[in-house]
Formats: sequence, C-alpha cells, structure tokens
Amino acid sequence: MRFATVRSRHYVHSVTGQKDKLFYALLAATAGIFVYLISFVFLKAPVAQLQAGGLAQKIFYFHVPAAYAMYLCGTVCCIASAMYLARPSDARDAVARAGAECAVVFGAMMLSSGPLWAKKAWGVYWTWDPRLTTTLLSVLVYVSVVVLRAFAGNGEAERKFASALGVLGTVNLPIIHYSVLKWGGNHPTVIGQGGGGLKHPAMVHALLVGFVAMTLLAGLLLWARARLALAVSRIARLEERAIASGELDY
Amino acid sequence: MTQAAPNSGTLDDPNARSTEFVAVQGGGDTTSAATLLVTAYIVMWALLLGFVFLSWRRQGRVEARLSELEKSLASGEPKHNAHE
Repeated sequence: MRFATVRSRHYVHSVTGQKDKLFYALLAATAGIFVYLISFVFLKAPVAQLQAGGLAQKIFYFHVPAAYAMYLCGTVCCIASAMYLARPSDARDAVARAGAECAVVFGAMMLSSGPLWAKKAWGVYWTWDPRLTTTLLSVLVYVSVVVLRAFAGNGEAERKFASALGVLGTVNLPIIHYSVLKWGGNHPTVIGQGGGGLKHPAMVHALLVGFVAMTLLAGLLLWARARLALAVSRIARLEERAIASGELDY
Repeated sequence: MTQAAPNSGTLDDPNARSTEFVAVQGGGDTTSAATLLVTAYIVMWALLLGFVFLSWRRQGRVEARLSELEKSLASGEPKHNAHE
C-alpha cells in the first residue's frame, strides 16, 4: 500500500512536471512570436492606403487575430458547455468557464482596437454596423456567462444555465461572420468572400504571424484559466467532504 | 464645397463664436494615425496584462484557501469557516 502511494505520487509529479514544461515551452514560444510580430508590424509591414486608415491600418494585424481568438475561445466554450449539459463534470465546467472568460478578453481587445482604427478610417469611433452590433452582442453574452459564474454561486443549476448561455453565445458567431456579407455596412471585407485580399506579401505575412501568435496566446490563457477553475472546483469538493465528515465547520 | 471660415476670434469676443455648424471636406480630422495605433496597442496589452493579473490574484486566493483547508484537516479541530 505504501509502495502504491509512493508510486502514485511519483506518477502525479511526473505528469504535472511534464505539463509544466509544456506550458513554459508554450509561454516562451508565445512571447517570442509576439516580439517578432510587433517588430515586424511596426518596422516591416507597409502602410496601407489612407482610405483604410493609413498607418492606423496596422491595428488590423492584432484586431483580426483577436477576433479569430475570440471565435476560438467561444467555440471551446460552446463544445465544453454542450458536453457539460450532456454529462456534467468539473473538468468540462472548468473548460467552459475558461472559454467564456478568454472570449471576453479577446472580445474586449477587438472591441477596443477596432474603434481606434475606425476613427481614422471612417471618421467615427463607433457605428451600429451589422458586424459591430452582432459582435458586441456576442461579447455581452460571454460577459453574462462570466458574471453569472462569478456572482451566482457554483451550484448545479447555475452551471447549467451558464452552459446554456455559452452555447447561445457561440451560435451568434457565424452570424457575425456572415452579417457583413448579408447586410452590408461599413466594416471591410478584405479577406474571404468578396474581398480583394492583402496586396503586399509583407501584409499577408504579418497577418499569418498574428493568427499564430493569437492562437498560442489563446491556448495559454485557456489552459491556465481552466486549470485554475478546476482547482477551485476540487477544493470546493474537498471542503464539502470535510464538512460532511465533521472535520470542517461550515 | 462649403469651407468654414477660420476662427480668428477669442473667448472674449462673443461675435466670434459659432452660430451654426456646416459640413466641410478634409478640414476637420486632426487625429493622428500614429497616436491611434499606439493607443490601440497599449489598450490591448493593458487588457491582456489586467487579465493575467486577475488570474494571478485568483491563484493566490485559491492557494490561501487550500492552505487553510490543509491546516484545518491536519489539526482535526472544526474551527475553520469554509466560506470565509
């Protein structure tokens, strides 16, 4: 029995040690790629035409990848939420919660950088354009998930309600993407259907590096927040067991 | 194109104040693209660092809660309030 405990501890330490190494490797890679991205965007990427905001167009190389990272985190939140609704577990709830929190952060990055670019390109910080409105709506849904989980307790009903909201927020994501094609508006359609694309190889390179950097960052943040949420759930379970056995006073 | 007259008046001259607003082309926007670009980058990084800071603080609270739980379970005395 003693031998089994020692082996089990050794196994746990070995697994967490490997995970930590992977996390730090991912952290180093993310930091490196961001340093490269920032220097490339500021020093090498060309300035776009004045109609697109001139120098302010360089916000694009962070704004669009941040939007993509919000989609990514929203999708993670949706999948984990749906899995939680199908079969509840602390791990699924933790991933869903982390997905919503990270979607809010990337959504805030997108919604703060976009208006600053718009001020130069359109002359106004904000307009009730279909894409902007649907994006704001989606971010607000994720904010509601985060607020609900932060202030409404950690009960089963609250978790399920938050999961349902997490699924709902992600249903809105395709509407954001296609709103600009269906309903028009001011928002550019440079990439994808109907767009002329980026007309300089350095622009394409900067955008691709931006996507890679934001993917790594999203992975890091999701991992860290899910791990933290899972630790909180495990402590809560331990406290419940300790209270039930009389070892801990309520 | 209608062009607004340059403002030659001062606050002390009531006759110089605007009595109407007219649309102009190419005359009003003085916002620097460089300022907007740098502001956008600063705001984005501030949001990210704020999130990391909040995560760090939450991690600290979790560790404190875990230490309290460990102490209570080790002493075997039901003194600790789980929801403090």
